[in-house]
Amino acid sequence: MLNYLIKRLISTIPVLLGISLLLFFMLRMLPGDPAQVLAGQMASPEDIENIRHQLGLDRPIYEQYATYLSRLVRFDLGLSARTQNPVIDEIWARLPNTLLLAVVAIMLACLFGIPAGIISAVRPYSWLDYLVTMSALFGISMPVFWLGLMLVVVFSVVLKWLPAGGTGSWQHVILPSITLAALVIAFIARMTRSTMLETLSQDFTTTARSKGLTEKIVIIKHALRNALIPIITVVGLQFGLLLGGAVLTETVFAWPGLGRLIVDSILARDYPVIQGAILIFGLLYIFVNLVVDFIYAFVDPRIRYD
Amino acid sequence: MKNIKLSIKHLVFVSVLVAATSLCLTPMDAQAEIKELTIGIGIDADTLLPYDQTTTLMQNMADLIYDSYFFQDPEGKLHPRLATRYEVSDDGLIYTIHLRKGVKFSDGTDFNADAAKQAWDNVLNPKARVPLRFAVGMVKECVKIDDYTIALNLKFAFAPLAPTISMSLVSAISPAALEKYGEKIRQNPVGAGPYILKQWVKGDRIVMARNENYWGKKPTVAQITWKIVPEAATREAMLRAGQIDICYKPLPSNVAALKADPKITVEMPLDTRTIFMGMNYQKGVTTNKKVRQAFNYAVDKKAIVDKILFGTAEPMDGPVSPKVFGYFKMPHQYDYNPEKAKQLLNEAGFDFSKTVNMRTPQGRYLFDKQVSEAIQAYLQAIGVKAELRTYDWPTYIAGLLKPLEESELELFLLGWGPLILDADMGLYGQFTCEVNPPKGLGAAFYCNPEYDRIMKASREEQNPEKRLELLKQASEIVWDDAPWMWLHVEKFVIAYSSKIKGMVVTPTEKFYPQYISMQ
Repeated sequence: MLNYLIKRLISTIPVLLGISLLLFFMLRMLPGDPAQVLAGQMASPEDIENIRHQLGLDRPIYEQYATYLSRLVRFDLGLSARTQNPVIDEIWARLPNTLLLAVVAIMLACLFGIPAGIISAVRPYSWLDYLVTMSALFGISMPVFWLGLMLVVVFSVVLKWLPAGGTGSWQHVILPSITLAALVIAFIARMTRSTMLETLSQDFTTTARSKGLTEKIVIIKHALRNALIPIITVVGLQFGLLLGGAVLTETVFAWPGLGRLIVDSILARDYPVIQGAILIFGLLYIFVNLVVDFIYAFVDPRIRYD
Repeated sequence: MKNIKLSIKHLVFVSVLVAATSLCLTPMDAQAEIKELTIGIGIDADTLLPYDQTTTLMQNMADLIYDSYFFQDPEGKLHPRLATRYEVSDDGLIYTIHLRKGVKFSDGTDFNADAAKQAWDNVLNPKARVPLRFAVGMVKECVKIDDYTIALNLKFAFAPLAPTISMSLVSAISPAALEKYGEKIRQNPVGAGPYILKQWVKGDRIVMARNENYWGKKPTVAQITWKIVPEAATREAMLRAGQIDICYKPLPSNVAALKADPKITVEMPLDTRTIFMGMNYQKGVTTNKKVRQAFNYAVDKKAIVDKILFGTAEPMDGPVSPKVFGYFKMPHQYDYNPEKAKQLLNEAGFDFSKTVNMRTPQGRYLFDKQVSEAIQAYLQAIGVKAELRTYDWPTYIAGLLKPLEESELELFLLGWGPLILDADMGLYGQFTCEVNPPKGLGAAFYCNPEYDRIMKASREEQNPEKRLELLKQASEIVWDDAPWMWLHVEKFVIAYSSKIKGMVVTPTEKFYPQYISMQ
């Protein structure tokens, strides 16, 4: 297990290098000049050139990449072109918010999605199944932006129960995490339903029933446990997406997360922040996948990483 | 006896009334001191260093922290602040500025000529990052005369210098703080303004506390929290829910609904920003004056303002906003007249088989893409084939700044918002030969030596009446030459709780809540 962990950790190095290389050159292929954006539309050519020089953008591109890489190996992500703050500070100010939102949302999604899928699979083609399937369809189809604003209108403006946006208390987490979880609940419910339907029709389930086990034990201990692997895969993937793809939710609920930082940085062509934030996302994604792999082994004893 | 009883009843009634009135009055008086004011804004500040800033909203915040030499009120009148008065030499090349005595920065150090000179030296230092340096590009140097007097020596005469130095761009920064924080002064502003930075939670909020040692009138608001809420619809919801007191730039489409709400006040003064469709003066089909005029007649600007912008703008009737010194309503207007447009195009021998290329940014100005689409439709309605391309801002501006020989511009949508209430930044900054790209953003490549001569004279003219006459002549020339489709002047929309009274809102998209009262 330890060997596997070490191998996986070592394999992250070329992945991160690949991300840094691709990202560095792809960003520079984008049209638009960061110095011009920073200088504003009224700046003189001399001032734009001055800013370009300060950002090191007037040097050859391979030299820029070499500098970037040499800093990166020293865990220095550079300075934000916009704020002149260390990129790591910019990211660190927002990363806990992103993680908090993603963790709460994925917990909500599992809490509602898995039981909904189980109920749906246990009573296929019943009104409960139709209700879950329809709700899942609704959850998948609903634009995040619209759902978020509707929740704001109902719970903040009309009922005045919850804050419409920002951070600072547990109440602030409720609406954005529900919005973010809605889509994931639907995915998890559908995946749970289909894998459960499959395991419920397997021979080992029939055997468990014929042994006289209660239906609860048959479903939870036999059918669900065997259906968990694909569900965990989906949860892992969705969690990875939640970390990086919560821009709309962050925007609607004024949630200061990494997604919003990346979008703002792209619009301002703030290369160091985009590069730094996406590298961090890459790291997080690798870590989530690693955790998922270990959960496989925990759930299914047949899986070993020796 | 009955009379006595009545009198006692009356006495009790009057006493109760007096008591109730005093109870009611007490909180009213208490509201004169406002503990916290929360303002919903769309973006976080990148820096609060006044000379490293291009965003009006952040300059607005910087004004509260640093104060300025003069304050230009919504009518354009200058009021002394950190400077008490100024004098101009006869040749217009030296401005002597007398600084207010007894003022301290919020860190307790003295505001004086040394501090003022250091700020000017920073701004004029070509190695320093000062995006708006062009605005004070006429200043050669700042010289200390005595402890409370500085002189600005100019490279050339520049009549609107006084309003120019009312910008926070040149505000004094505590020299002690500059030394203490170095580059980190961007996040640790220390000025002589009515507020100090208390807390800055990146992406979430900026909190300012009242500077108890402020030299001027004590602000009524003890703490201002700038809450960053990127989505305008959420800002509005928060205003309605009472979670914020002021909503900066709500959605134009919701202005009518906000106005109808008795709990909300909407202010929308006319702005200095003009929105136009530039037409290449030196290249392509729009080099012909009749074509440019025809395109102006082809577009119903009033309909765009009413139907697309929900009344949050006004059609242009002169080349600059009515809010600036030097504005004149032009005697001849390009009112919507598609027949006249067709006639002018025919007279110009316009080739209707050619496709005109249009460009627009998306999300930079109010409904910019939709406005461009409407113009495209108006042009097509008179038989002009028009193709519209949409770009994000960095890509768009890179395209605008190419020199004439490389430029592919034909028609392009752009906005131009002078930072002070003077026509110079609009008329000089967009229409003189020297601002043609890549030197400036006069992307219509308008170049007219006669116009340049008049504008140069207007800068040198110290007599306001004579200067007005020159600005009028320049306006008439460029209006007739029509290097732009003269579209509209935006309004600065701000919505706030109707309990708030005494808000100062300026046409430069700034607002000053420090002396408001709550009812």
